[in-house]
Amino acid sequence: MRYQPLLALSACALCAPAFATQYLSAEQAQQLMFPDATAFRPQPLALNAAQMQQIEKLSGLPARSVNWRVVGAFKGDALLGYMVLDDVTGKFELISYAVGLNPDATVKQVEVLTYRESHGGEIRLPAWRRQFVGKSAAGGGLTVGEGIANISGATLSCTHLTDGVRRIAAIGQVMLKK
Amino acid sequence: MKLNKKLIAVALGAAFLSAPLHAGASEKELKARMDKMAAELEELKAALKASMQKTAELEARQQQIVAAESNNASASTAAATAAATSAATATATSVATNVATTVATDVATARAETARSASGTILSGYGEINYNRPTKNASAAQTDIRRAVIAIEHRFDEKTKMVSEFEWEHGVVSASDQGESEIEQLYIERELNNGLRGKVGLFLIPSGLLNTNHEPTAYYGVERNFVETAIIPSTWREVGVGLSGDTAFGLTWDTGITTGFDLGKWDATSTEGRDSPLGSIHQEGQLAKSRDLAFHGALNWRGVPGLLLGGSVFSGKAGHNTEGFAANDARVTLYDLHARYTPGAWDLSALYARGQISNTEALNATFVGNPTPVPKSFAGWYTQAAYQLLKSGDYTLSPFVRYEQFNTAKSYAYVPQGLGVETGPDEKVTTVGANLKVGEGVVLKADYQKFKEDKSRDRLNLGMGFAY
Repeated sequence: MRYQPLLALSACALCAPAFATQYLSAEQAQQLMFPDATAFRPQPLALNAAQMQQIEKLSGLPARSVNWRVVGAFKGDALLGYMVLDDVTGKFELISYAVGLNPDATVKQVEVLTYRESHGGEIRLPAWRRQFVGKSAAGGGLTVGEGIANISGATLSCTHLTDGVRRIAAIGQVMLKK
Repeated sequence: MKLNKKLIAVALGAAFLSAPLHAGASEKELKARMDKMAAELEELKAALKASMQKTAELEARQQQIVAAESNNASASTAAATAAATSAATATATSVATNVATTVATDVATARAETARSASGTILSGYGEINYNRPTKNASAAQTDIRRAVIAIEHRFDEKTKMVSEFEWEHGVVSASDQGESEIEQLYIERELNNGLRGKVGLFLIPSGLLNTNHEPTAYYGVERNFVETAIIPSTWREVGVGLSGDTAFGLTWDTGITTGFDLGKWDATSTEGRDSPLGSIHQEGQLAKSRDLAFHGALNWRGVPGLLLGGSVFSGKAGHNTEGFAANDARVTLYDLHARYTPGAWDLSALYARGQISNTEALNATFVGNPTPVPKSFAGWYTQAAYQLLKSGDYTLSPFVRYEQFNTAKSYAYVPQGLGVETGPDEKVTTVGANLKVGEGVVLKADYQKFKEDKSRDRLNLGMGFAY
């Protein structure tokens, strides 16, 4: 208990510097994805074993984590969709990104929050990210080479981000779809 | 609630009881007092209800936040709790839902940053072992540890990192062996501004498709293609400073000033210059002559998903004002144009590269009688198509075919008739084979190469490679 303020302070110190590589904060990303929203409410997800299995089956990837950072976007009482925050490793370094999901679990938008590799920053290009829009884990087309075009020279970043989006789309399908 | 009501009732009762004791209190006064007390009671009830609601709300929120962070490291969990506690105090006065959202995401960011700063040093590597068997001369079959590379990347802070690659070639390195030990990359990169990166040290020249992406898992075929080894001397690195940036519409640019080539190293008696003109005079940061520096620039456009169009140029003098050297004005210039398109399962690429070495007349005059004068120009191109045929679990099989045409001595500077060396025809090589990827980091390769001019070089190649 004594150390809590210290820990909180060091946590703040860690996130205090403005990163040139941080393109968006989580707040900016949720505003970009849901400009009409009047409220954003955190709705963290905790997956059970059966749900994780379903997600693995749907995405063809390990579900990886039990807990997921999800924010619900609302206009009044009406649900506009969700934003799921995640990190994947590019080649060596973490890529922080956010996936906007519609209430029907189709992908609304993909935003890259931070990118720190020397190469492959092209995953931030709107034209590349647009490839995800409207697709779902059930509908397919969320794999590099099958619906998502590779970026030459950034194969690992592309593949890992695409896998991450597919996993989140599967989570949406299993856990969030209305 | 019940207890509170009881308390209030008792208090009220006491008040009633005490009332008659007030001498001379009229009935009217008594009624007014009762009304007032009833109103006070209502007020108290409402306040109590609101306060209880707030407490419940805050508790729920706190639980949510704590639950979200429960799987994290104890440090960040503590931070989350602390943040949640402060959030509780904040929300007690204002019931804005957005506050909780902000706190939750802040905590998430803090957690991510904590995780990141924990891994300041990253160890990676790659390697390949190849087997070559000339089909017309099996006794020349060879197996070689082509390279083993250990790469260390260290991040000093959010904006500054060091990138290094240490390489061994051909298995054994000693005075009596043929292996080489070398430093392939050693530079500091600093993020200067949003998107702008500065580099200083020994880094890869952004030329062609392969040079900056030279891990065995990144290209098709057991051996690197001829154009990007004989014309572009991959893995080509220089010491200097560089600046890179990108634009919103998909254009990436690189530019820099670095060390260049040393034409003084040209050996007209050996065939090394014939195999790779620039490969025989590169300096690789080894006591590199630096009287003459070189400039480079590269543009790559990836505005359409799956498509890459690019080009590069490198130019610098190579004489270094060496006393008694016959080609102090010689300039090496190399440029390339490249394209890669990856629609669906296809991976299509094409590249053209051309190099020139100017002002070599006087130098070549001193080489008369030797087999390998300095070429005035050398060039080549290739086109390649690969197709992801099978994907089953971790296995991906991609057959490919590549056709390349190249000439390491396309022309020579003028020498008096009869004293020069004839230029040869372009060599044309067709490579057919397949890459079998196991997961992401391991590749097994097999291919067959057919040479149009020097048919004795036809060969079968097998290889394994990895990168992590």
